[in-house]
Amino acid sequence: MDWEKLVQIIVNGTTLGSVYALVALGFSMVYGILKLLNFAHGDVLMVGAFIGWGVLGQLGGSLDPTVPVVLLIALMMIASMIGGGLLGVAIERFAYRPLRNAPRIAPLISALGVSFFIQNTVLLLWGADFRTYDTFDLVDPFTGLHVGVLNVWLIRLVVIASAFAMMVGLYTLVKRTKLGKAMQATAYDREAAAMMGIDVDKVIVKTFFIGSALAGAAGVLVGLVFGQINHFMGFNYGLKGFTAAVVGGIGSIPGAMFGGLFIGLAEAFAAGYVSNTFKDLIVFSILIVVMIFRPSGLFGKAAVSKV
Amino acid sequence: MKRLIGLLGLAFLVTAAVAATAIARPTQSTGSTAVEAINCRAASLGFAGPLTGPAAFLGQEQISWSRFAALQFNRQNKTNFKIVQGDTQLSASLARTVGRQFVSNSNILGVIGPSTSQAVISSAGLFKTAKLAAVSGSATRTDLTTAGKFPTFFRVVPNDFVQSPSIVNFSVGTLKAKKVVVIDSQDDYSTALAKGVTYRFRLKRVTVQRESVAATDTDFSSLVTNVGNDVQVVVFATQTAAAAQTLSNQLREQGKRAVVLGTDGAYSPGVFKPRNGYVSSFAPDIRLVRGGPAIVKAYNAFSKNKTFGTFGPPSYMATWVLMSAINTACRDGAATRAEVAANVKRTRLPSILGGQVRFTSKGDVAGAKFYMFKITNGKYTLAG
Repeated sequence: MDWEKLVQIIVNGTTLGSVYALVALGFSMVYGILKLLNFAHGDVLMVGAFIGWGVLGQLGGSLDPTVPVVLLIALMMIASMIGGGLLGVAIERFAYRPLRNAPRIAPLISALGVSFFIQNTVLLLWGADFRTYDTFDLVDPFTGLHVGVLNVWLIRLVVIASAFAMMVGLYTLVKRTKLGKAMQATAYDREAAAMMGIDVDKVIVKTFFIGSALAGAAGVLVGLVFGQINHFMGFNYGLKGFTAAVVGGIGSIPGAMFGGLFIGLAEAFAAGYVSNTFKDLIVFSILIVVMIFRPSGLFGKAAVSKV
Repeated sequence: MKRLIGLLGLAFLVTAAVAATAIARPTQSTGSTAVEAINCRAASLGFAGPLTGPAAFLGQEQISWSRFAALQFNRQNKTNFKIVQGDTQLSASLARTVGRQFVSNSNILGVIGPSTSQAVISSAGLFKTAKLAAVSGSATRTDLTTAGKFPTFFRVVPNDFVQSPSIVNFSVGTLKAKKVVVIDSQDDYSTALAKGVTYRFRLKRVTVQRESVAATDTDFSSLVTNVGNDVQVVVFATQTAAAAQTLSNQLREQGKRAVVLGTDGAYSPGVFKPRNGYVSSFAPDIRLVRGGPAIVKAYNAFSKNKTFGTFGPPSYMATWVLMSAINTACRDGAATRAEVAANVKRTRLPSILGGQVRFTSKGDVAGAKFYMFKITNGKYTLAG
């Protein structure tokens, strides 16, 4: 058994899975509260990545940053979270709220429209060229953890740690705060929550803000660890994040976290031990198997409706 | 009520019949535009390339140089040929749609492109039926010309039959490679090229590890984990320079010794800029050829200093070839697509990249070769 390879694959999968988990959380939160598949969510990640790139450029770029690297990364994350969050709120206000009582297909189509709108807006504003974070100039690739031939770059550790911190923060917010309880109540029964004095509109707006802020942060993490960003990158991450949310049980926060990590690790193991060619086949086969045996996902609960 | 339904049904049938006729008309005109002459004042060229999507850097550079060529040609020859854009992204189905649009537009007498091999495969059959000449400045898959399936397809760049031995000879001769990894990105261009490269490496008794990645992949870390420390070169056949850059970064991140050698699709100094690496290209750097700096100066003034690599100048030549062919066909004020295609076949033009553009009987440019560039800290220098 090649233990170093195994550990390297786990690190690769956990990095990828952390990003998927952050995206899946946004899908899950919005679905939980509105029963809506927000297909524009991946594009919020893309906008977050571009905001992070913009902040990086404004603060001197990777080669010559004007602030310490830790502060720079923190500022990139904060800006992209705020930008992503506000974009999420705008999407909710203009594309979903007017359709809240429309048939379920209408907001779904609206979500696809928003996705194309965001992609093309970014294309128009920043052009079709790939943008690069050049993270290697910011943090040397040999800075990090070295055990034998195993190399774990510091940025990977930062990505994994910050994603976990955000997940734990979100879990605490949902379980321990008043807003979290209001979110749970709204997800459980929107009308009853309104009758209990919860401002449902506000809760929905805050849910969109938080979910989209996580996607914005995920965009920066993708830029930092994989280096390149472009206007259509949201599609792939959106698709994998959505798959993770479904595998974990859409609407369930622990499910989304688990689903993300599970999909990331499955992808890494498939590429590392089976074949890189078939990694997506393996990931989506897992999705099919989970759907057959647990239609509501690994952590989801079967919905019971009173008739 | 029944009467109303009947009337509505009748209206629907009439609308459907009208729509079907409208849809059918371009197809009918396809045949006729192939033989009917059009007034040269309305003559246009189609441009088929990836203007958006993962290879947009390529298409944007090409369209910019094609526009520049059109401006210069029209000025020199007092013509007014226009370019109609068609965005193929990296999608074969989109390329076919663009191909249909060009074929049904009777003003289009020639097509610049398609840029990528899969786009040629999906649309060149349509161009053949319509006798519409297509001149590509970047599609390199060998059998596009050698199979003889697309007689109206030409290219001003060498094919992968030339690229594969260039890469292998350079890797073995200059880089002394004994063990390599060859990666394709699951499209018509890269799979054929990777197959050719692998075959030639094995002929030279080089150990080859074959891998494949999806064109949309952004993370190769698990593939990189499988690259042994005794591997010297990773040949990456890709049309996405960003993917080559990520692969190179991840090799470095995991402490691997291997360097990436990107194929011509990865040539993009703004994007593929590893600390150490190589890239092949079907064209030399125009800044380094005789007469090149003057053209670059004019282009910079035209494009307001847009950055460019090696994709633009061949597209300039493809445009120039087509415009010359149309201009010759237009001596009597009207031209047919068949005349233009025949003129393209007879092309004899000095190239801005040195030498002359003339085509073999199959449609390949005669006497062309591939160039190898060494990349050091993102800076490209000619290495072979």
